[in-house]
Amino acid sequence: MATTSYDAIIVGAGHNGLTTGCYLARAGLRTLIVEKNDWIGGAAVSRSLQDGWTYSNCSYVCSLLRREIVRDLELPRFGLQVIPYEGGATFTKDGDYFAYLSDHNALRREIARHSPRDVDAYDRFAQTVMRQCRFIRPFLLRNAPDPTSLHPRDLGELAFLVKKAHGLGAKELGETIRFWTMSIGDFLDEHFESDLIKAHLAGSGIIGTGLGVYSPGTAYVLLHHYMGDVDGTIGAWGFARGGMGAISNALGMSFEEAGGEIRKGAGIERFKVTAGKVTGVALENGDEFDAPIVASNMDIKRTFLHHVDRAEVPDDFHRAVERFKIRGSSAKINIALDAMPDIPAAPADASFLRGDMHCSTSLAELERGYDDWKAGRWSAEPYFDLLIPSQIDPTMAPPGKHMMTVFVQYAPYDLEVDGVRSGENWTDTHREALAHCVYDKMEQMMPDIRQRIVHAEVRTPLDIEREVGLTEGNIFQGELTFDQLLFNRPVPGYSDYTTPVSGLFMVGSSSHPGGGVMAAPGANAAREILRRNGKSKAMQGYAA
Amino acid sequence: MSTDFDAIVIGAGHNGLVAAGELARAGKRVCVVERADVPGGMARNVTSGDGVTAPQIAHLLYNLAPDISRTLGVETRSLPTIGLSPDGRHVLLQAGDLRFADGEAHPEAAVFAVLHDRLTRFAALLGQLSDAPPPKLMEGLAGALSGLRDIGGLAKLGLNLKRMGKAEMREFLRILLSNSYDVLLDELNDGPVAGVLAADAVRGAWSGPRSPGSVFSLIYRLGQGGDVRLPMGGMGAVMAALEKSAVDSGAALRYGSGVASVDIEGDRVTGVTLEDGSKVRGRAVLSSLGAAQTMLLAGPSHYDIETVRRLRNVRSKGTVGKLNLVLKAVPDIPGLTDAQRGARLVVAPSASYVEAAFNPVKYGELSAEPVLEVIIPTLTDPSLCDDGRHVMSVNCQFLPHVPKDGWTEAARGTAQNRIMATLGHYMPGLADHVLQAELLTPADIETLTGAPGGHWHHAELSIDQLLTVRPVNGLSRYAFGVQGYYLCGASAHPGGDVTGQPGRNAARQLLRDGVLS
Repeated sequence: MATTSYDAIIVGAGHNGLTTGCYLARAGLRTLIVEKNDWIGGAAVSRSLQDGWTYSNCSYVCSLLRREIVRDLELPRFGLQVIPYEGGATFTKDGDYFAYLSDHNALRREIARHSPRDVDAYDRFAQTVMRQCRFIRPFLLRNAPDPTSLHPRDLGELAFLVKKAHGLGAKELGETIRFWTMSIGDFLDEHFESDLIKAHLAGSGIIGTGLGVYSPGTAYVLLHHYMGDVDGTIGAWGFARGGMGAISNALGMSFEEAGGEIRKGAGIERFKVTAGKVTGVALENGDEFDAPIVASNMDIKRTFLHHVDRAEVPDDFHRAVERFKIRGSSAKINIALDAMPDIPAAPADASFLRGDMHCSTSLAELERGYDDWKAGRWSAEPYFDLLIPSQIDPTMAPPGKHMMTVFVQYAPYDLEVDGVRSGENWTDTHREALAHCVYDKMEQMMPDIRQRIVHAEVRTPLDIEREVGLTEGNIFQGELTFDQLLFNRPVPGYSDYTTPVSGLFMVGSSSHPGGGVMAAPGANAAREILRRNGKSKAMQGYAA
Repeated sequence: MSTDFDAIVIGAGHNGLVAAGELARAGKRVCVVERADVPGGMARNVTSGDGVTAPQIAHLLYNLAPDISRTLGVETRSLPTIGLSPDGRHVLLQAGDLRFADGEAHPEAAVFAVLHDRLTRFAALLGQLSDAPPPKLMEGLAGALSGLRDIGGLAKLGLNLKRMGKAEMREFLRILLSNSYDVLLDELNDGPVAGVLAADAVRGAWSGPRSPGSVFSLIYRLGQGGDVRLPMGGMGAVMAALEKSAVDSGAALRYGSGVASVDIEGDRVTGVTLEDGSKVRGRAVLSSLGAAQTMLLAGPSHYDIETVRRLRNVRSKGTVGKLNLVLKAVPDIPGLTDAQRGARLVVAPSASYVEAAFNPVKYGELSAEPVLEVIIPTLTDPSLCDDGRHVMSVNCQFLPHVPKDGWTEAARGTAQNRIMATLGHYMPGLADHVLQAELLTPADIETLTGAPGGHWHHAELSIDQLLTVRPVNGLSRYAFGVQGYYLCGASAHPGGDVTGQPGRNAARQLLRDGVLS
């Protein structure tokens, strides 16, 4: 009979749960991770659904993963290799494209081809975004300050924020406030004149969110996608060799090497709570495990609305969890291709074909896509972020064949059918129709795409919710809006990874600093857990 | 002709007149120059040849600063708000009280009272910031760093926030930057109550209730408690009183010629040149025009390129049209008593309706079903017309500033038809009562008043254009780049609506800055 008592139990083997697990195990805690699926990784997985091909089924590119954590947990030693890709492009209906090239001078020439005026505008844009990235990065591996608290630790975090903000100077501080509160559409409109360039840059402002390009706050979402790095190149993105599962697998191995134990196929029934204090977990299969520390990698809605007894938390907390916004807005299509699709507009072997490709050519088109979503429909002209990683990473597809990942924005969770909006409305017919809508749009750049498809996995927000467990399939475990960031994330008063249940911690992306394969919530939560259990010194490494 | 003044105020809108009165009362020699022949800007009355007086554009006071209001001697009446419902079960809102228009208790009354109370308290808190120039963030931060107590407005706000208690403070910090759709629907059903509040949150704005920041604009509307007041004699009476107040204190008026340029010697204003070629000399110039126009009158060469770019990019796309109707009689409104027709009537049956009405304007199109705010002022104020005819004044959202193909006759016709059709749902037979109809598009409003984009607030009241960054970063404290040049219009802090606050704050700042001493 296996041991049923641990120092700490983590529910969910997503990248954040695994990260928390690694730090706790390294600090000497006997740690168990329970995972409902038969594989680990949550939304950072590589799975083979067609012989010979590997899909990054959910998340598909890597940049945000904090390098401090990569080093602390020695992920390269466990096989993690991130290969940067260069550039990207947006293709127009009339056979042209805008290539976002990584070489600065080449990019200036490409911009000039569309708008000479936008060449300098781009430099201004890039400088502003980079300044904001530099401002925000130091906050990612810290707790968010709670301005309502007089606790010395919160005051300390607040002082750190104030000091950083003060260091900006009056003008830059004004710019920062403005940038954080404006829409990506307005921000781009005031820089650029080319619709195509604006549309290309705007994508990062809406990916994963229930907001449109003209919704205030989307400039921040863009920042959220730019603040990462690959090997120190801020804003760069890369492929994890072997797919995003490589990250989870490396974390898993690091965890197990540190003495941690993972149980797969072990979904939670409920968190066991006695007298306001967590005592362990009860699993769906009837197993029970005890620990004084339990961490949930699930989002806050799933944790408290499904797995914690309603009576164990105060009403206002429960209410706050209910109103926390986790909206499904994205779909994913993973495609096995029998050959590289023909892209007539692009020069053969152009570097940008190895990057992110799109077909949305104006901000108005993107905004209309959002209007469709608000009404419970997928976008008639969807935005997509399309990559073919097998060009760089041969492990993803058989020789000569390719794997394509297509992230689709917007697709509603609660699809409207006959006036009723519900996630239950999704049927195979809708799934198929959504895929064809995306293929129609893809034909703008790849006329033969339909002939190339060997197999396609179409994942609606409902599918993502069912498999991964993310509420509504929201990739960030909660909208990245002002009212749900920093000290408001996930619930005001609980931004420090704690919950009203003593000993129960939130380590997923519902917590500060939010979603993306960043692992910062997991590391921050580990630091908090150790500190609260008198083991601050046990947190070792750059993320300490 | 050359005249010497201490200060010249450009534009006899309410902010210009308030600024002039403030300076005149401080003993300064002030001249107000105005392009039109009458004062009032957006708050003018129009009187037709056959004796009907009506508010031309603005028709209600949402937010006039109480101390300004008190000194004017204009009688105002508080109007209740009625949210019209397609099923005839209209809702009556008055301060925190909610019931059905037929008097029956409303199931959401208790929830509404709590929500209203909370928003009003938050509004009062933020209202503290509107009586003074926006807080200096750097001083605030420096103060926080050095542990100083005296750090001005921000500290006071922080202190008052703390006084609300931790739970309320948290709620304030959570919803302040949130969107009104979520905040309302977290508490209310998506019916006419939420609809009225959502409509108020985006009134005058290029934004829908789902746009983050729309809670702030809702709170802004509640700055003086949320009371909606109808001035007796129309908005023109308020303007006449403001004008009289300024003149009685010694201000001179020069109407009928706009300003061609602001004259500058060295880095100091010396006066203005009017469109008729004459010059008026003054040591200070306050402009109540839009921020970009204000910059252009001085000339872009006086501003650095970044500032010029910012000013040109101030967002001010007007979205409100105005339909002024003269009626031979007031139509029946099924579900309302005759007296209730005198309320502020809002057509916004749900928050989703308001959002759907906003969608098309993003693409230069008209709302299929517009959000309407309707008053029939003649029911409350017979002085506007006493021969049995009535005035119906309708704010219509959302109309694009300029539609894709321009404001053609066809486009105007479509807009008017849609508004009339929407009104017709609630007021059957309305069309048969109409004697005259005049539609003012945002473009018309721009032409009539000079307000940039025909926008109510001169500059969108979005978070990125508020407080320290209103109208643009670096020019938020009324002084406008050139020594002696000030911005005193709605694009300055705290913003639009007929509040008088930007005008008063700018005048006070000018006096404090010592330019005239």
